[in-house]
This record gives sequence, C-alpha cells and structure tokens, in this order.
Amino acid sequence: MTAALAAADVRPHRLNHRPATLSIDRVSVEIAMRRGKARVVDDVTLEVWPSEIVGLIGESGSGKTLTALSVLGLLPRRARIASGQIRLNGDSLADKSDADRRRLRGDRMAFIPQDALRALNPVLRVDRQVGEPLKIHRGTAWSRAKARAVDLLGSVHIASPEQRAREYPHQYSGGMQQRAMIAMGLALDPELLVADEPTTALDVTVQAQVLRLLREIRDTHGTAILLITHDLGVVATTCDWVYVMYAGAVLESGPVARLFRSPQHPYTQALLRATPTVRTVQAELVSIPGQIPLPFDLPQGCRFADRCPKRFARCAEPPPLFEAAPGHVSRCWLAEAGHG
Amino acid sequence: MLRLIAWRLAAFVPTMIAASMVLFLAVNVVPGSAAKAALGIDATAQAIARFEHQHGLDRPLHVQYLDWLGRVVKGDFGVSFQNHVPVGPEVLSRLPITLELAALAFLIANLIALPLGAIAAFYHQRKPDTIITFGSTVLGAIPNFWLATLLILVFTLTLRWLPSGGFTPLFEDPARNLLKMAMPAVSLGVVSSALLLRIMRTAMIEVLSSDYIRTAFAKGATRNVVLWRHALRNALIPFLTVGAVEFGFLFGGVVIIEDIFLLPGIGSLVLVGIINRDYPVLLSSTLVITFVVLTANMLVDIAASLIDPRQVHAKAAT
Amino acid sequence: MSAAAPSRHITWSRWRLLAIGGALVSLVLIAAAFAEFVAPFSPYDLDVASMLQGPSAAHWLGTDEIGRDVLSRAIFAARISVEVALVAVGVGLLGGTVIGIAAGYFGGLLDQALMRFMELLFSFPAILLAIILMASLGTNILNAMVAIGIIFIPGFSRLARAATNDVLRHQYIDAARTIGMTDARILWREVLPNVMTPLLVEATVAFAYAVLLESALSFLGLGAQPPEPSWGNMLNTGRGFMAQAPWLSIVPGMAMFIAVLGFNLLGDGLRDALDPHLRET
Repeated sequence: MTAALAAADVRPHRLNHRPATLSIDRVSVEIAMRRGKARVVDDVTLEVWPSEIVGLIGESGSGKTLTALSVLGLLPRRARIASGQIRLNGDSLADKSDADRRRLRGDRMAFIPQDALRALNPVLRVDRQVGEPLKIHRGTAWSRAKARAVDLLGSVHIASPEQRAREYPHQYSGGMQQRAMIAMGLALDPELLVADEPTTALDVTVQAQVLRLLREIRDTHGTAILLITHDLGVVATTCDWVYVMYAGAVLESGPVARLFRSPQHPYTQALLRATPTVRTVQAELVSIPGQIPLPFDLPQGCRFADRCPKRFARCAEPPPLFEAAPGHVSRCWLAEAGHG
Repeated sequence: MLRLIAWRLAAFVPTMIAASMVLFLAVNVVPGSAAKAALGIDATAQAIARFEHQHGLDRPLHVQYLDWLGRVVKGDFGVSFQNHVPVGPEVLSRLPITLELAALAFLIANLIALPLGAIAAFYHQRKPDTIITFGSTVLGAIPNFWLATLLILVFTLTLRWLPSGGFTPLFEDPARNLLKMAMPAVSLGVVSSALLLRIMRTAMIEVLSSDYIRTAFAKGATRNVVLWRHALRNALIPFLTVGAVEFGFLFGGVVIIEDIFLLPGIGSLVLVGIINRDYPVLLSSTLVITFVVLTANMLVDIAASLIDPRQVHAKAAT
Repeated sequence: MSAAAPSRHITWSRWRLLAIGGALVSLVLIAAAFAEFVAPFSPYDLDVASMLQGPSAAHWLGTDEIGRDVLSRAIFAARISVEVALVAVGVGLLGGTVIGIAAGYFGGLLDQALMRFMELLFSFPAILLAIILMASLGTNILNAMVAIGIIFIPGFSRLARAATNDVLRHQYIDAARTIGMTDARILWREVLPNVMTPLLVEATVAFAYAVLLESALSFLGLGAQPPEPSWGNMLNTGRGFMAQAPWLSIVPGMAMFIAVLGFNLLGDGLRDALDPHLRET
C-alpha cells in the first residue's frame, strides 16, 4: 500500500481528503472450470481519480477485460470476485445489495464496450437506447428521454442528431455507433466511465476522433475514465496513468510519460521496443519468445520469468511491487536491485 | 418494405400451385380408384367406364389437373360424388370454424411457449430451465386426441362444466361459442406449445448471450426490462422464422380434434371425404387447409422480417 | 469466458435423459417383441360374461366392451405401433438420406429442385398428407406404414443435405478426389459415416412421431382395422364407453404417451451424448 500512497503525491487530479472515484483493492477473480478454479485476475490494485484517464494495458487473456467487468458487476456467470474490494467514491460495492449495485450501473458508472455495433440493440431506435438510462434511473417519460438523447448525440458530435436519433444502429457508421455508445454512457453524467477497447474496431482516423472525444469528456465533465486497451499508442496519446497487466497481474504502473521514458519491468521494456508504427501488444508479443502461462498453472515466482530475457535466480520467488520513482512501481526483482 | 412483401406474395403463387399438384397427384396415385370407391368394389367395368367418362376421369392426368385447377381458380370446387351438391359453398361455410379453432389453439400455444421459453433461456442450465424443458417434453408427448378425451372425461363427464362438443356460431352467442371451443382449442394448443417452447428457448439463449444484452445490464436495466424490452423482440425474429415452418404440424391436428368435438369445420369435412371416398370433397377440403397453412406461413414470415429493421431497410435501400 | 458447468452436473443430465428414455423405450420394445409371453391373455379372446369390468386381480387393467383383456390388447398393440414405426422410419430414412445426400453432393439445379420440393412437403400438415395418401392407397396398416414413411422423407433429406454440405466443406474430401476416389466411393466412405449421427437422433424422434401418427390414423379408422388391437382404435372404441369404463380411454392413451415420451427423451439424450454441438438446435 505504500506504492499507492506515494502515487497520490504525483497524481495531479487527486483531491485532498476525498477518495478515488474508483478503487480496485487487491481484487482477484476466479472462473469455475472443469479442471477447477482458474484465477484469471490475481491481486490487482488500481485507482482512478476524477478527471483522470487511466490506461489498463495487456494482451488478450491478461485479465484486463474481466477486471473491468468486475467493476460493473457484469462478470460472466461462472466468474466471481474471490477476494478484494472495489470501491466507488469510497463506498464498497460488495457491501451493497444486488438492487443497489444495479442502481449504480448506467447512473454513476457507465460501460463503453469494444464492438459498438454488437453492443447496440438491432431492433431499437438509437434515441430509445441512448435515452434509456434516464427512463431506468430517473423514471423520465420516453418522449423526454428521447429528446435528451438528441442533445446527447449532438454533444458527441453526431451531425443532424434530430434526424439520426430516429435511425437504427445498422444505419450508422462504425465511428457513429461508438459515439452513440458513449452518448448512452454519458446520459446521466456518471463519475466513472469504463471503456473496454473502445477504438479497436475502428479505423485509424475515426479512432483518433473517438479518443479526442474521451479527452474532451474528461475535460468538460471531470469524468474519471478507465480505458482498457492493448494499444500502446492509445495509452501514449490519451492516458495520464497506466497499469500494465500480464497473466492476471499488474506488473508495472505509473504516470504515462515517466513509464514510457524509463520502463522498469522487462515485459514493459519488450513492449516498448516495438516499432513505433505498430505499437500494439498483440503485434509486439510475436517478438517475445514463449507463451502467456495459463491461469491453471501459473509459475510459482514471477509469471513473466519463462519468457524474460533478464531472468535470474531470484525470479523463482514471487516479486512484490518496488517503487522506482514516486508513483512508478514495478513487480520485478531487478527494480529492488536498482533501488538498493 | 413494400418490395419485401411483394416478393413474398410473388413467391406464394408458385408454391401454392406446386402444393395443389402434390395434392392432386396424391389423390390420383392409384388410377381408377375414384370410380371404384364411388361405385363400390363390385361395380361392373361398364359402370366404371361410364362413371369415369361422366366425371372426365378418362382423360390424361395433366389435362384433368389443369381443368380442375382452372375451375378452382374461378371458385368452382366441383360437385360431390356422394350427394351431387357443389363442394365450394360447403367448404367456405366450414372455413370460419376451423380458422377460429386454429387461431385459438395458436394463441394458447404461444401464451404458454413465449414466456416459459424465455424464462427457461434466462435460467439456462439451471433449475427453472431443467423443470420447464422437461415439463414441456412431457406435455408434448401427450397425443392431442388423448388429451381431448381426458378433458371430456374430466370437464364433461365428471365435473359437468363444459359441453362435450358441437358448435355455436361466434356471432350468434359468443360466450357459448367460446365455451364449446375451449376444450378443442386447449387440446390442440397445449400439446403444440411444447415444440414452440423449444424454438423460443433456443432463440432466446442465443439472444441473451449477445453483447447488447450486456449493454442493457450495464445501463442498470432490471431483469424484466432486459428480458421483455431488449431480448424478446430479437428472439421473435428467429422464433417466427422457424415457427412458421412448423405451423403445418400444428394445423394437422384440426382433422382429429374436430372429429372428436363434433365441430363442423373443414377438418371433419376431410374425414367425410375420405370415409365416403368422395374425391371432390377430399381434394377441396385439403386444398383449402393447405392454402390456409401456406398463407399463415407467409404472414408469419413477413411478420418476422417486419420486426427486424435490418431486413426492412436493407430491402428498401436496393 | 464460456466455462463449462461442473462436469458432474453435465454427465448426470445427459445420462438422466438417456436413462428415462431408454427405460420407457425398452418397456415398449419388450412388449412388442415378446407380446405372447408378456401378455396374460390373448388379445382376441372374448369373454362376454366379464365385459366392461374395471381393473381387478384377474384383469389388471380391466376388460373392454366384449370382455377382452385391456392390458393384453395394449401389449399386443405395441407390436403394431413398433412395426409401423420401424417400416415408416426405414422408408423415410432411406428415401431422405438418398435425396439429401444427392442434393448436397451434386448441388446445382438438382439440389435447388429437390430441396424446394422437400420444403413444400415439409410445410404440409403431416397428418393431412398421410390421410390423403391413405385415401388413394386404401386404408390398411401396410399403407399406413408407407404413407407415414413418405412424410418423413423431407425432414431426413434436409438433415442429410446439411450434413453432407458440412462434410464437403472439409479439406479431406478434396484430398480424396485428388487421389482419384470416385463419387460413389467418397459418398460411401466419407460422407455417409459423418451423416449418421444427426440422422440417428432424428430417426429416434421420428419414431415417436410415427407412433403418434399410426395411433391417429387408427383412431380415425384409417390404420389398423379391428379386431387387430392398436392404441388408436382402442382409444376410439373406448370413447364410446367413457362414462361406464374410463379405463378404456385412459390405458391406450397412457401407452401412447409412454412410447412417445420414451422415444423423444431417448432422442434428446442421444443428441446430448453423441454431439454436444447439436444441444441447442
């Protein structure tokens, strides 16, 4: 916990005497499988403060999406939070009833998924879907909820929103679909947005527009945003803080500028050595020999050890987080050596 | 949207013609059987020849078919072998009874199948699903004519609540009509619901695993809002598409159910036709039932595409 | 993310359907095969002195309107049902498989024509088609078998065609062609074995439907003719004595229900056990 406390000092968005908007505190997620329980998220600690965009980067299977879903209480049926606490503005979600947690979803925290077309209901008009959170949480009449949806669509820069609002999702372009999802998320001005790879399905120019929109929302509404991605480029242009996830655990975290300038963990270093044009984890990992360990048979020590070019004897023990600089921590024995 | 409907309507005509051909061939599979049936097995060759000539049965089969089809299109269904009465008016007067029975049965089947299928899907592979699925398998295994018999046994003979059969026209006395239609419609509908329930459950399981359902939960929607506002309409698209094809199965039951409850509909006319070997009656009544089934198929199919905005707009754009 | 249920639950639920279905089906098949040994009386012997008697120690399920033992008649009726269903499913299976595989394998216009026609037959009310065929073929039990069998052809052919197309999409068929295997050989060695599983499941379910249709036809007087016992004609006769002798209506219906339920459950169980991918379809 020393790391988290120290991090606070360099986090410009931290408000004194107020809790983080989102605090994930030593959370583990398990999935019941035929072979037993698989720990797919292991002891993850993460914070998002108001007006902050926090990146959670990792390859597919690293547990980043499950981490996001556990915040919203949308874990798949066989997955559950095995330990740890998730707090929204200091209130533990585990202490609340199912009904109370439902009341938070779409109101104080919203979810923006990866594939907007699939995430939009094909048989309902866009205005109904975008305005629905008002209906659900405020009991607003449909006519007023739909009118508000037009405003929301305008605010995410959809041209001629009055007319577009009456259309169905399949009539929208990919970028517009994602904007509509963002508009839906913003309907009740939530404190927290959780965006799961919101730009993966989009082409590069549209991607940039959507990311600009997220920054704009952060600036105008002071929203805290947790941005799940496998794209280092997205982190570099958009995020203030980043957590690097690998095989269910956070290996390194810190302020984006500092982490990119001097990455501490060999995994992060390997990622950053990628050519600047294809800075996605998926493309990069081809060049790191070996495979991600499965959640059934995680190595006893450092989980990156098998593939690590700098492996040494100490790696057989599980490394704790070491602080390389204020707020910048790394789960690697090398960081201890560097420190001491 | 209009193009879509026009397309379905255009496809209906050749289907109906092909269906009429199948019926005509099925009735005439064995040559000369019509005359033998009408005159009895000990009829003389001379009498048979006279009968066949009289009814035009000595002509080539395709000529007979085209002649018959041409007259049917003009509304002339021929004359009964048995009592020499025109068949057309008889069929038309019986049609509303069968339509009412089928509509009520279909309504009952859907009222059972839709909610229970949806609930089973929602609790996929959990206790409510197991119970509903097993229950519907048991229900679906009850022959509808046995259920009809049991209903009469209980509600007419034991409790004496309902009449065992007969018919009162709907507009003469609606209450009495429904009273007499209750048991026939229930025996037909309840058993048919099993098949529809399975289709609904499968469609709903598919829908509930989709991303937009997660979106609805992420918005804070309650279980009921997710199920009925977000999932139902999407599940209805495959449900109707598959269900339309199965409609023929459900409709087949009217023959036997009308017989049991003494309903003077087209189904019982089919039986009259077959027992008397009255081919014009048999052919006309089965043709009308086929027409109703294929029309229902088409309407359900159109409905399935109308509730899917992707289909409506895709066709409109071209 | 779609982790499987705990294995114990899955195996039990699969096994459960197979077990219940298998038990009911065995009951019916044993009655059909060994009717002479299982039935306490002859199904034809009448005993006017003891007609319309309720269930007793001598006649477990009572006697009918001319004093025949209802249990014995129900047991012998199983034989007719099973015979009809066997032949009918055989006809449907053979016809449907040949048409379906031909359509799927040769494709093109033949496929189009055959499948449009099958689709049409499929949308007909099945029992109606059976009744019409019975009208022209003549009402006896042999014709009932043929008529019901013809009704099954569209369903089987649709399945066989889909499965054939599925097999053809795989690489090894191309490989078989390149090493010079003939069409007939490919069909026999590669396509047929792969098509068997879904057809077997469908055949089991069709068996249930055949029992139902035979009973319906006999109920209407178009199938098995008295004094030959059939569940359908027993029920029809029984209806005339519903007030005095309700067991005459209950016993044959119960027998039909057991047979239909048994074959349906067995079909579901087989589907789950043989091919988990077919589970939801």
